[in-house]
Amino acid sequence: MALLQISEPGGSSAPHQHRFSAGIDLGTTNSLVATVRSGEAVCLPDAEGRRLLPSVVCYAADRREVGYPAWAHQSNDPLNSISSVKRLMGRGLEDVRRLGEVLPYEFVGSDDSPVPRIRTAGGDFSAVEISSEILRVLAERARDSLNGDLEGVVITVPAYFDDAQRQATRDAARLAGLNLFRLLNEPTAAAVAYGLDQKSDGVIAVYDLGGGTFDISILRLNRGVFEVLATGGDSALGGDDMDHALGEWIIEHCGIEELNAGLNRQILLAARSAKEALTLSEAVEFSVNYRGQSWRAEIDRHQFDDLIRGLVKKTLQACRRALHDAGLKTDQIDDVVMVGGSTRVPLVQSMVGDFFGRDPMCDLDPDQVVALGAAIQADILAGNKPDSDMLLLDVLPLSLGIETMGGLCEKIIDRNTAIPVAKAQEFTTFKDGQTAMSIHVVQGERELVSDCRSLARFELRGFPPMVAGAARIRVTYQVDADGLMSVTAEETTSGVAADIVVKPSYGLTDSEIEAMLRDSMEHARDDIEARMLKEQQVEARRVIEAIDAALKQDGKVLLSESELEAIQLKRGELETVLESASADEIKQAIKAVEVASETYVARRMNTSVKQALAGKQIDEVDV
Amino acid sequence: MQSPELSQDYFELLGLNPAFDIDPALLHAAQQRLQASHHPDRYVGSSDQDKRLSVQIASRVNQAYETLRDPVKRSRYLLEINGANLPDDSATTADTEFLMEQIELREAVDACRDGEDALARSKLIETRLEQRASDLAQVFVACFNADRFDEAIEASRKMQFVQRIQQQLAELQFELEDF
Repeated sequence: MALLQISEPGGSSAPHQHRFSAGIDLGTTNSLVATVRSGEAVCLPDAEGRRLLPSVVCYAADRREVGYPAWAHQSNDPLNSISSVKRLMGRGLEDVRRLGEVLPYEFVGSDDSPVPRIRTAGGDFSAVEISSEILRVLAERARDSLNGDLEGVVITVPAYFDDAQRQATRDAARLAGLNLFRLLNEPTAAAVAYGLDQKSDGVIAVYDLGGGTFDISILRLNRGVFEVLATGGDSALGGDDMDHALGEWIIEHCGIEELNAGLNRQILLAARSAKEALTLSEAVEFSVNYRGQSWRAEIDRHQFDDLIRGLVKKTLQACRRALHDAGLKTDQIDDVVMVGGSTRVPLVQSMVGDFFGRDPMCDLDPDQVVALGAAIQADILAGNKPDSDMLLLDVLPLSLGIETMGGLCEKIIDRNTAIPVAKAQEFTTFKDGQTAMSIHVVQGERELVSDCRSLARFELRGFPPMVAGAARIRVTYQVDADGLMSVTAEETTSGVAADIVVKPSYGLTDSEIEAMLRDSMEHARDDIEARMLKEQQVEARRVIEAIDAALKQDGKVLLSESELEAIQLKRGELETVLESASADEIKQAIKAVEVASETYVARRMNTSVKQALAGKQIDEVDV
Repeated sequence: MQSPELSQDYFELLGLNPAFDIDPALLHAAQQRLQASHHPDRYVGSSDQDKRLSVQIASRVNQAYETLRDPVKRSRYLLEINGANLPDDSATTADTEFLMEQIELREAVDACRDGEDALARSKLIETRLEQRASDLAQVFVACFNADRFDEAIEASRKMQFVQRIQQQLAELQFELEDF
């Protein structure tokens, strides 16, 4: 059902065709792709039967490798084998410097772009481009397996990801040429995978400890609707930090004095396998090659637990905060779901169990659970399950604010507000003839702008010049269902919309993305133009179908004869240009239909909202 | 292009009577029902215009929900849609007796930061604050219903003071309960 498409639009009243879709878990350490096949979500393996794709991309001078082959180069070619790139998504040079020890790459910045690039033998690449390589491999795996093209994908992100990190993920999808249905929060995806909507209603805590991020989400489940009540976590805390804690122990224990990138990587790999072995064993032995000698040492689980206890405790503090935000106590939680490879660590399971006073659920593979949930959501969004009641309602993870006098942050939308959401604010001019203003949008909970995360500066231009204080500039901050923010502005006394120039603090601009897209295509221009034309044609057909269906249903009731004619006229013009005109001309014609049907749409919107509330389906309403 | 606006106010939008006393369960059910039909996830395959409209409706529903579920925001919104001239956020109350009480309450909250029975003492203040909030809400309703908007604004303002102290106290209790 749609606002304009009341019944199934003409073209698609034919038997429903299955549309291919996939869910992608773009992880710090490993990534996965899953799809729904014969009603069941499955993670797709590569040709060798491996489901995990290590999130590593190797840029050598003559070749580019993704996954296991790149992973294998980590020790011998550490500077060109890029791993844990998720930690760099939506981040700037100074963040990267802070992560310097964790990520031993050579970063290059430029004056033109706030986005750091990693220098490799194959060129300089941003985190977005590196992530898009991983996405491309996973999408290809899905296409091969399904033997068809993907209608769209759902990509998961940590619930705690801020706007810049989400924008970066969306950009990576765009670069990989994927139609992104939705960015889904990883904890929500996990709750979906456990099929908790099939069970009774209740409150769920999802504890997600991945390689580089920690998330806690509290969800309420009510008749198929997953409502996020509160979310919290730390976007720079995860299993990697356990490896580092153990790595430092190794360095100290083996008396290593000089570190280089290769040795560092070797130690981290040894630490990781020791950590993994300690999941089942009480003690493990490991060795490190240093100065031509092999150093052997043993660590038992108690020693390891002592190394990581502080880290786990930090996650539980975030759990307390999320419960507090949701206004709940631990005994009100019905189920605890464990997600992420790091939840295999026995100390994590026991401390989480003690905290919530119940055994956490870990029946599903914690590595796969997020991708499986994303696949289920993607299948529904593709339209393959029209009868599904499932709906995922997310919240804004961090408050949005703007910079005011004295570097203070004024909150515009509070964290944990249900999204999508919009908020408007009114400003006036303080100089005669002022035609522009600038707004600095930040994200975070602190009072000082310098303690929050800078998202973007918006330059609003083109207001009509007026005397100081006469203009009324209404700025609307919109957060969509993916948690992505946009800003629009209008001078309300004249109705003039402002031109907005966005300067993302840590993101790529639209023109940078387009340049990357062009570079990535062989026959750049032709391809892009052909694609844009096709997109506009598809959109034009949707618009025509929607308007026809709507008019047939209630056009005569809601519109006067002249209003009806005006819409029909523009609709006819669109149909005429559909097959023959350029993408731009079709776009103009679509816009003309939209403008002509504005009042009609407003009337239908009100009717549709009222009817939804009255519990009636629109198609039941007799007209 | 300007998108069409939903003409209803928040109460109308969610199918509720425009009154201060609302049933939180009904409010929640209305929000969920409208999201179920108008959330952008229901329009993934639709035209761009439909997608925009659904974001707009779903946003407004959530905005209405956020406003009406908070007593202070709800009281201000009621005044606003009834044409009362609301002062901006920085305005204060002239009621010195009330201000003295606020200072006293704030000091009592601060005094809970340490000491052995800090948590127990904070619970006593919590009860007192709840009582104060509910008294003020009653004053608000009485003044609002009698169209005495100036007094209703004053009551709403005081509710906001009390709410801020309640939030401070909740934050303090969160820290006190640290393990």
